[in-house]
Amino acid sequence: MGNYKFKAYYDEAYPPVPDKATLFWRKFVPWQLFRFIILNIKMIRIVAGGHS
Amino acid sequence: MAKVVVLGAGVSGHTCASFLKKKLGKQHEVVVVSPNSYYQWIPSNIWVGVGQMTIDDVRFKLKKVYDRWGIEYKQAKALSIHPEGDASIKKGYVTIEYTDEEYAGYTETVDYDYLVNATGPKLNFEATEGLGPDKNSLSVCTYSHAAHAWEELQKSIAKMQNGQKQRFLIGTGHAMATCQGAAFEYILNVAYEISRRGLSHMAEITWISNEYELGDFGMGGAFIKRGGYITPTKIFTESLLAEYGIKWIRRAGVFKVEPGVAHYETIDGETMTQEFDFSMLIPSFSGVGLTAFDKAGNDITDKMFLPNKFMKVDADYKAKPFDEWSAGDWPTIYQTPTYSNIYAAGIAFAPPHPISKPMTSANGRQIFPTPPRTGMPSGVIGKIIALNISEQIKGGHKEHHHKASMARMGAACIVSGGFGSFDGLGASMTVFPIVPDWEKYPEWGRDMTYSVGEAGLAGHWLKFILHYLFFHKAKGYPFWYLIPE
Repeated sequence: MGNYKFKAYYDEAYPPVPDKATLFWRKFVPWQLFRFIILNIKMIRIVAGGHS
Repeated sequence: MAKVVVLGAGVSGHTCASFLKKKLGKQHEVVVVSPNSYYQWIPSNIWVGVGQMTIDDVRFKLKKVYDRWGIEYKQAKALSIHPEGDASIKKGYVTIEYTDEEYAGYTETVDYDYLVNATGPKLNFEATEGLGPDKNSLSVCTYSHAAHAWEELQKSIAKMQNGQKQRFLIGTGHAMATCQGAAFEYILNVAYEISRRGLSHMAEITWISNEYELGDFGMGGAFIKRGGYITPTKIFTESLLAEYGIKWIRRAGVFKVEPGVAHYETIDGETMTQEFDFSMLIPSFSGVGLTAFDKAGNDITDKMFLPNKFMKVDADYKAKPFDEWSAGDWPTIYQTPTYSNIYAAGIAFAPPHPISKPMTSANGRQIFPTPPRTGMPSGVIGKIIALNISEQIKGGHKEHHHKASMARMGAACIVSGGFGSFDGLGASMTVFPIVPDWEKYPEWGRDMTYSVGEAGLAGHWLKFILHYLFFHKAKGYPFWYLIPE
C-alpha cells in the first residue's frame, strides 16, 4: 500500500508486512484464479459440516 | 393447519421463513413480522459506506418475495409475547405494532402454534454517551447509516484534496461492543479509498477496539496456517493494519463521544481521548426489548430473557469462570427452556457467556468483545429451526433431528480490504469451530485442517460473488435452497 511509515519501538512497527513478491502474487490474476478455486473448496467443506 | 410466526426478516428470520414455507407448503401458514419493508444484505453495507455500492444494491422489498412464496407478511414490530395466551385467547400470541404508512401505530395480536424470535439486535447507541449518527459518530450497521457515512467520507476526502489533513477513528464505540469484523472491513476500505486517490499522506487513520489483542473478533482470536507457520489472528490483523498505514488502540472501552473527541478507558484504568475529524464506531448490541406475560398477565420477561434482552434457549446459563467454560454450554436447537414451541434464532438468542475472556479495567469497567453471530451461523440456525419445526408439524412429534451448535460449526469470513476487480483485496478466514473447544482440540482450540487465512484478489472476488449469490437465495430465485448459508 506504500503507507508504511512507522518507526521502531511503536506497536505498528512489528507485524510482518508484505514484500514486493507477495504484493505481486496477491493481484496476479492466473494465481488468484487458482486460489479462488481452492478457497471455494475449503469454504464448502466448512459449510457442509455446519449442521446435522 | 399449523401457523408459524417468525419475528424478523434478517438473515436468520428470512432463511427460517423461506425453509418453513418450502417444507410446509400451502397446507400450513407462515407469517413474517418485520418492521423494515426491505431485506438488507448487511455484509455489503461496508461498500455502501465507501461509495462502491448504493443503497438499492444491498436491499430489496420483502413483500414481493413473500407474496410469491405465499408467506403472509406484516410490516410491524413485535412488542410482547404471550406464550400462554390469556383469558380470551387460548393459543400463544404476540402483540405487534404496524410500521407501514397505511397502518402505522395500529396494534394487533397474532396467534401462533410455533414462534421464532429472529428480531436481531437493537443498535444500542444510547449505551455510549454521544454515540451514533444522530449525535457525534457514524455507523455502517444499516444501509442508511452506511450511505450517510459515505456522504461524510466524501467531505473528508474533499478536505484532504484541498490540503487539509484529516484524522479518522474507526472501531468499537462501547467497551463490550461486538462486530469488530465489520468495523475492521470498513477501516481497510476507507484506507484503500484514500490511498487510491493518492491522499494517504493527508490522512491519519486509527483503529480503536475493546479487544485485548487485535484479531480477537469476539471469538477469542484464532490460529491460522500461513506461510509455513501457525499464526495467531493477532498477527494477521496487525499485519493488515500496518500494511495500510493504520495505527491502533486496543483494550479500549469508549464511554463518551463528543464532537471530534472520543473518550475511552483502558484496561489499566487510564482515561484517554482520541480526536478525530471522521469517526465510525460500532455500538453495543442488546435484544430489541420484547416483553413477555403469562396467562394471568404477570410479567415473565426475566424468565424468558437475560438482562441483555436476548432470549434464553437450550444453553447452560449457570455463571461459571472462564476456565470452566465448555463447548457443551452452547445451544444446539435454540428452543426456549420454558415454552417448547418458541425458538430464538441468530443474534436474538442469548449466548451462555462470551467467547473472549472477560477483562475488567482497574476501575471495574468490563472491556472485552461480546460474542459475534455472523451471517453464516445465523443463517444455519434459522434453517435448522425451520427444519425441526416443519418435521414436528408434519410428523406430529416433538423431536429435533437437526442441530447446529456454534461449538460444532465453522465459519467463513471474508474481510474486504478494498473494492476492485483487479486491484481489490479480500482477506479470507475460516475457523472450525466458531467457539473454540480446548478439550477436543487441546493444541490450538480449533481444527487446523479447516483453518484458512489469506489475503488476495480471490477474496474480493469471493465476497463480490457471494453478494449476488445470497441475493439470488434471498429472493427465492431458482434453486435458491441449494446455496448454503
